Amino acid sequence: MSTIEATPVPAPMRAGRRSEIRRLLREPSAVIGGTIIMFFVVLAVFAPWIGPYDPNTPDWMAIRAAPNAAHWFGTDDLGRDVLSRVIFGTQASLAAGLVSVTVAVLIGLPFGLIAGYFGGAADMVISRVADALLACPFLVLAIALAAFLGPSLQNAMIAIGISAIPVFVRVSRAETLVVRTEDYIAAARAQGLGHFAILTGQVLPNVLAPTIVQATLTMAIAVLAEASLAFLGLGQLPPAPSWGAMLDVARQFLSEAPWMAFWPGLAIIALVVGFNLIGDGLNSALNPRQ
Amino acid sequence: MKRIGTALAAILMIGSGLVSASAATLRVGIQDDPDALDPALSGTYTGRFVFAALCDKLVDISPDLKIVPQLAEAWDWAADGKSVTFTLRKNVTFHDGTAFDAAAVKFNIERMKTMPDSKRKAELAPIVSVEALAADKVKFNLSEPFVPLLANLSDRAGMMVSPKAATEKAGDFAAAPVCAGPYQFVERKSRDLIRLKKYPGYWNAGTVGYDEVVYYYVPDSTVRLSRVRAGDLELAERVAPTDLKTVRDDPNLTLHSGQGLAVSHLMFNVGAGAKADTPLGKNAALRQAFELAIDRNVINRVAFNGEFLADNQMIPPSSPFYDSAHKAPTRDVAKAKALIAAAGMTRVPVELSYENSAGDARVAQIIQSMAAEAGFDVKLLPMETTTAIERYLNGNFEAYIGNWSGRADPDPTLVAFFSCAGSQNVNKYCNKDLDAILTQARGEADEAKRKALYAKATDTYLTALSSIPLYHPNWFFAARKSVGGIVMVPDGLLRLVGVKPAN
Repeated sequence: MSTIEATPVPAPMRAGRRSEIRRLLREPSAVIGGTIIMFFVVLAVFAPWIGPYDPNTPDWMAIRAAPNAAHWFGTDDLGRDVLSRVIFGTQASLAAGLVSVTVAVLIGLPFGLIAGYFGGAADMVISRVADALLACPFLVLAIALAAFLGPSLQNAMIAIGISAIPVFVRVSRAETLVVRTEDYIAAARAQGLGHFAILTGQVLPNVLAPTIVQATLTMAIAVLAEASLAFLGLGQLPPAPSWGAMLDVARQFLSEAPWMAFWPGLAIIALVVGFNLIGDGLNSALNPRQ
Repeated sequence: MKRIGTALAAILMIGSGLVSASAATLRVGIQDDPDALDPALSGTYTGRFVFAALCDKLVDISPDLKIVPQLAEAWDWAADGKSVTFTLRKNVTFHDGTAFDAAAVKFNIERMKTMPDSKRKAELAPIVSVEALAADKVKFNLSEPFVPLLANLSDRAGMMVSPKAATEKAGDFAAAPVCAGPYQFVERKSRDLIRLKKYPGYWNAGTVGYDEVVYYYVPDSTVRLSRVRAGDLELAERVAPTDLKTVRDDPNLTLHSGQGLAVSHLMFNVGAGAKADTPLGKNAALRQAFELAIDRNVINRVAFNGEFLADNQMIPPSSPFYDSAHKAPTRDVAKAKALIAAAGMTRVPVELSYENSAGDARVAQIIQSMAAEAGFDVKLLPMETTTAIERYLNGNFEAYIGNWSGRADPDPTLVAFFSCAGSQNVNKYCNKDLDAILTQARGEADEAKRKALYAKATDTYLTALSSIPLYHPNWFFAARKSVGGIVMVPDGLLRLVGVKPAN
């Protein structure tokens, strides 16, 4: 499984928001990625209306039925509609991506800002803790935390979020180190602004862009991590659908019911690719050097 | 030209020699790496599986669960049931050449009763003393009449090891066990293989069909099966029910199946700590409603392709003590709803814990779905193995899917789960009347009277329903057609006497 690498993004100048969006729309990868993500967001939000069946209602008469007119994606080992389960499973995957990365940013970003801005002992402590967390492979850490917290989607999100914190500490610290030597920070200080005002008013806006890029890329990893945890039985509790858990069950029937594995597998790939594309697009659009 | 012909013939002969040499090896895939290979210490199924080739026992069980002679040719119960005298087979030797006799039996029983970490103490507890009356006569004196003793002696407690080897090697005995079975120990590579070879001095040597038996540790059942299909193994134990079609469709394989002793059951916490304080834990009528809400046949069909045996008793139908008068009730959602209403409820919440294995996960979800129709809100709590076992042993659950390997005699199973002090009575069911019946039954040597007592016990536990038995798994071994003479016994152990290459 991949580990998170901090993507170095040089600090952009504070340009107009409109030009950034225009630049973003000129990036084909961002447009494709955005479309994929939008597609899944629509699926997740409107799942109760789009899904043809209740995802948790078994049909004892249609166990592992091959794709047919009634069940386009076939049924699983308990006769539940795979299409409906893939659609409803989007909710768990997207929620895991969004919530865990939000958790990681909300905790990692302030610590990175403090470490980079103040330096000294604060930097020493925060950076060493972040290093220690980074030394442990991302997924291994997430599995350990999830196993400790007990199986549930909420705990999986917390585990993934905590595991992703050090990346954001690193990214925001590195950016802050660059920003704090800028003339406008010195100017702000000369005006008599306090540390808090400088951090939120001057440093944060300039650190935000690389953090957003990193957050988008981390979402791809978080989606994969949620699927991995669910695959190991550490995610969404049954019978609620989750792509990873669907793959776990499907593994036992790979030769006789391949559709059980194919669709959730495809969904995971598509969502991960979507987040990666949009992350690349954002990187290009927000990176003035390109 | 003639020389070339001779050379060719020689090559062919060498070739055929190699073929026959490899054909005389039986390679078996087993699911777990066994623990200590000492009958006194062993605690795993695959350990017993290997012992079936390595260590003969005083008595054995037959496919219809009758006690049959093995190292003991005959036995005699005293009139008061407080002693049993075995007549031993003559001319039996251990793998180290030492003789098997009454003194060896005495040594073995005493070893298992006194060894500090012996796991056989409970099974042999009723034995007070062992007397070697003659070289071929040994008498066990018991503290109380205890008929299930013979069944216990048909497993590890009855396996005889060489007193010489056990004394000399002491703690290292398990590393190279010396018994009196058809095959003797050669080597063990941890988490890889256990190699045995034919013991030429076996008392029944004519029935030993292979020169060598190797047990390979292959944890995944699908992988075990594919290795048999590829000809890489001759036999795989415990093939998954969902893979049976593959075995049946393969012209090179034979499916060996048989009824087992094991039972899977839904336990309700009725008396262990705070988690017993639930509607289902307090009210037997609600548990009956729960039983009526589920359809065991659907569980069997959906979760196990219909390959197991849906049943409502802890004792499997293969046992002579099975009570056919107590049939499994058919699903009746209306009646279940009525019982719930009579208890003054409409929705009954319950948390169902289980070990997160493929089979139990499926069973749990099926139960959840069926019970919901009657009015039970089942919350599922899958747990990884260690947590599951810990919570099970501490009675830290509202409901739990228990899997019990079963025993040849009904006594150990029923006492373990339903007697007030039973070792598996983790849900703390206690009924003094049932305790009395079970104690009486273990002392009753008359089979018909004993059966009547167990019928009474069955009636009692099926009324209280502290546990709802769901199904009995069957045994499935996949073997290549080249292996002949396999006989399935309900304990699921592969006896190698009579197993030989088929022509």
